[in-house]
Amino acid sequence: MAGDDVSHDPAGRDAVEGYLAAVAARLTGPAAVRAAIADELRDGLLEALAAEWARGCSHQQAARAAIEEFGDPRTVAAAFAPELGAVQARRAALGLLVTGPLVGLAWIAAVAVNALPPWRHELTGPWLALPLVGLALVVAGPALGLTVATTGRLGGRLGRRATFPPAAAAVAGLAAVAADLTLLAIVTGQALTSPAPQVWGPLVLAAAASLTRGALAGRAARRCLAARAALR
Amino acid sequence: MRAEVLKGHLDALLLATLAAGPRHGYAIKEALRAGSGGRFDLPTGTVYPALHRLERAGLIRGTWSTVNGRRRRSYELTPSGRRALSDERSSWQEFSAAVNALLGSAPWPATT
Repeated sequence: MAGDDVSHDPAGRDAVEGYLAAVAARLTGPAAVRAAIADELRDGLLEALAAEWARGCSHQQAARAAIEEFGDPRTVAAAFAPELGAVQARRAALGLLVTGPLVGLAWIAAVAVNALPPWRHELTGPWLALPLVGLALVVAGPALGLTVATTGRLGGRLGRRATFPPAAAAVAGLAAVAADLTLLAIVTGQALTSPAPQVWGPLVLAAAASLTRGALAGRAARRCLAARAALR
Repeated sequence: MRAEVLKGHLDALLLATLAAGPRHGYAIKEALRAGSGGRFDLPTGTVYPALHRLERAGLIRGTWSTVNGRRRRSYELTPSGRRALSDERSSWQEFSAAVNALLGSAPWPATT
């Protein structure tokens, strides 16, 4: 294609980069995906620039025409928003699906090793709050399932309700945060009451897992809500 | 022609531009414009998100290459995409035949 000569037009390149920066500033979503979008748009813009030259435009006219041809940066960014929202939601959901069982196993091990009340089928003291964790899982499970389903191939074909996947993923993320905070509060309560746990290692490990996952889930939920807001 | 007119048909038209083989985003947009005699001249930047959606739906597959020192993403139809294009063509032919039969004929006689 005629794109070979574009490197000899610094002004054209600057105009292209300025346009890309204007689009990128309005995109939400994973950085790698946004960078890939910028690369793809850059290639198209430089092709458009070369095509305008081939029609006999001056460098200045070519840059203006190529950018006009691509459309207003706000329009372009808005057109990408549903896909970026889906990508953000899917990543968050898959992350929660992977970390959920790991965090759960860490807590089960910690409870089992110390023969804490739930292990004896008792809910006493701070463990009375444990049903809240179950409630969070009841909320997160369907939200995760729906997020994965609507951001896969089926979702791509349906192409509607773009706000749903990031909203569902945000709900799942917030439910995970609630579960983690509840577990951390319970274990703190347990540590302050007697009898105190005997084997601290697994409890510390489980608490660290919940702290880490809770922070990541909170960040993912925040990003999903931002992606959803970009769709309005 | 305004982009809204294409609503509901854009996916099939994009798939059709890939029937002959892989193309990159700008070439797809140009094929759409040229193939429609200049009638379908969408803002180029809005074609790319539609391609991403079709890729997520498994109807097209994108691959990166390096051309003139820059990264380029080209798209090709997947087997599902070929089937979807074939289905779209059949249903469009049925639909357009029915519309032609109604709009292309003489005015209907008045009924009482």
